[in-house]
Order: sequence, then structure tokens, then C-alpha cells
Amino acid sequence: MKAAFTGSTGAAAAPDTAVRKPRDGGLARRAARLLRRGGRPVLVLYTLALGGGLGLVSADWATRGGYPFGGVRIGAWIAWPRAGATNADPYTRAVNARRGEIPLAVGEGLLLTAAEDDAGRTLDATCTYAVAGAVPPARAWTLTVAGRGARDPDRPLMREGFTSTEILRRPDGRFEIVLAPTAEPGNWLPAPRAQGPMRLALRLYDTPAAASIASIDRGSVPTITRRDCAP
Amino acid sequence: MSLRLLYATLTGLVLAGIVHIAAVMAIPRLAEADAVSRTQASESLDHPQPIYTLSTGEVPSPPEAWLPIPDPAVAVGVCAYDLSDGPMRVSSRTSALPLSLAAHGRHGAFYAVTDQAAVRGALDLVIMTRAQFDQALADDDENEPSRDVRIVAPDVRGFVVARVIAGLPSQRPGANEAVRAISCTTDAPADETGRK
Repeated sequence: MKAAFTGSTGAAAAPDTAVRKPRDGGLARRAARLLRRGGRPVLVLYTLALGGGLGLVSADWATRGGYPFGGVRIGAWIAWPRAGATNADPYTRAVNARRGEIPLAVGEGLLLTAAEDDAGRTLDATCTYAVAGAVPPARAWTLTVAGRGARDPDRPLMREGFTSTEILRRPDGRFEIVLAPTAEPGNWLPAPRAQGPMRLALRLYDTPAAASIASIDRGSVPTITRRDCAP
Repeated sequence: MSLRLLYATLTGLVLAGIVHIAAVMAIPRLAEADAVSRTQASESLDHPQPIYTLSTGEVPSPPEAWLPIPDPAVAVGVCAYDLSDGPMRVSSRTSALPLSLAAHGRHGAFYAVTDQAAVRGALDLVIMTRAQFDQALADDDENEPSRDVRIVAPDVRGFVVARVIAGLPSQRPGANEAVRAISCTTDAPADETGRK
């Protein structure tokens, strides 16, 4: 797995996978001369190679990592309501098949992911973030953080997330999780690695929101605010 | 001449589009690491194959976890089924921990239920093909209708996922145990007719 969970980047770039990359000018001119000299067989070979190569490479690229489509953006979060449904799009099905993923079914729960903060900056493991607010109605929820790729074996196994049961709340029922590399008071979620990008996953279990994603608005998902970064 | 080259390039791009679509559609069919293929090994088991066991105390999660980004508070187990042997019955008992069962086929989840649908503390699903469903309906005793939840599966092969949520670290052993306690058995056709 090259890039685990690159949902947001794939979502933006996947629809135009068939666009050809610009080639080097000198190389292109030489190739064009070769094609002109070679006549029809070379031209046919060129067509087949272009079609097959570009088709397979783009298919591999679109189904690598996270889901390219099907996400619904809510604030800093992207909800994936159809990831496990029977009528999921072919790309989502291909991604699930390649990763061996067992997505949450519609009646089971809803997955929301965030790779950026509210200002649109990528979540960085050296920075301190406040994840605060409320969560859409659900019987239980978990908020977890993950880095990209395999876990660092030298790092001690610490907390990876919070569940709705164990979190400390304010008197008004709202909460604040501090995602930071060093210990913080309150709900401290340690950064999963020393540096590099991070991703947050909010899983709502047994939630009515899975069936009607439009019922979730920006105010009902936690905000992700960057506080400061280690130099 | 360059017009011919342009023509060839355009044809190549159209071909690339066709190959792209065909490849994406074929991936779920050809994949060997997908959940359906990976779970087939557990078909003969009577209890779910643990896919993700929660870490308890100092014991980390065992490496059998192949879910890409598992939830560290949810124990996951799967029961694979092959309906050509007969319908599969999944029986679970509810506990204090939230439990959900979802039936997946090759194309994704086609049914999901949580323990809130349980009747008197028991949640029984029977996954069957259309023909087995018709047979079960025909065999039903009018005076004693079956209380099973019958689900018609779109494919012969698939799996049922059981998820148990441990809200607190102290509930993790209980969640692992709750997944193990679920039973997945194949109903013999004759057995199904004799059941009340």
C-alpha cells in the first residue's frame, strides 16, 4: 500500500485521469519522426501501446489509496456514506477490493475522514491541533488518528483515538481533543509519528446520519484548528 | 502525415479510456486480497474469524489484522458463507456492548442490522439464496411463523461482519469475547424445514 487513505487528494484529481502528460519537446519530435518513417504498423503499435499503457496506469492510479469519488465535504471533514453500499461506484469497489477493506454498511455507521484543518492546511504531526465541538447524533463514535504507511516500531504504543464513552466533556456536552506531539491537559491525542502528514477518522456507529448525509452541517462536526507548530 | 499521427493519438486516447474503465470494473473480480477472497478460509468455522482483535492491557493487537485502518475500539470478526451448502445462520446474543452485523457480497454490503433490532436478547440472521428463501417460505408453518430474519443474498459467496464496540479500554476483552461468542452455522435444508 503506497498511500493509505489519500481520499481527499484522489477526489480532486481522479476525474481527469485520461489527460496525457506533456512530454519532452525533443523526445516528442524524435518519436514523431520515427512514427512517420515507420508507416502503418508502427502507427498501430503506437496507438495500442498508448491506449493500453495509459489506460492501465490511470486505472492503477485512480484506485490506489483512498476513494476517488463519493465523498461529501462537511467543513474540514469528508463523509463517505456510500463506501460500503451495494450501489457504490466502481472506483470505490475497486479501492475496497485492492485494500481488503471492509467498509461500514449504511445501517451500521458512517466514516468521516479529515486530512486538512479548517483553514485547508494538511494535518502535520509536528503541529498542535484542537479538535473541538460536537458530533452528529450516533449511538457511539470514535475519533482516531493515523499517520501514513506502517507504524513506527520504535514509538511506544500510545492512545490512537477516543471513543464517545471515554472522552472528557465540558458542562455543555461539547468536547475538545488536543492532537499534539507532546502531552497536553484534557483529552490529549498523541501524534502518531514524529513528522509527516496525519489523518483523522471519525466513525459514527448506528447513526441516522448515514442514511441522510444532508442532515449533517458544518456546525455538527468537530472543528479542526491549528494552534502552533514545532519549529 | 502529422494528421495521421494525430488520428492515431486520438484513437489511442479513446482506447486508453476503454482500457481504464475495463480495468477498474475488473479489479473487484480479479482481486486476490479483497475481503471476500481473504475470508473464504473461515468458511468451515462455526465462529467468526477474528479480523481485528482489540489490544488488551499491554498485549497489542495481533498481526492478523489486515484492515487498512482499523478502529482501535471495535472488535471485528467475519463469517464467510457459501450458500451452495445451504443457508447460513448467524446467531448472536446481545450484551451491554453495541453490536452490529453486516452482510457483504462481492458488490458491497447488502444488509446491516444492529443489536437494537434484537428480539429478547437474541439476534438471528439467516442468509439464503432466492431459491432457499422460497423453499423456506413454502415450508413455513402457518400457525408458528419463523422468527428468523431472512435475508436474500445477491451472490452465493460473501461474508457477514460482526462489529462490537468497546467504549472503554476495560470493555475490550468483553468485546473480543462477544465477537467470538457469535455462532455461524450452515443450516442443512432439512433442518431448516423442521425448525419452528
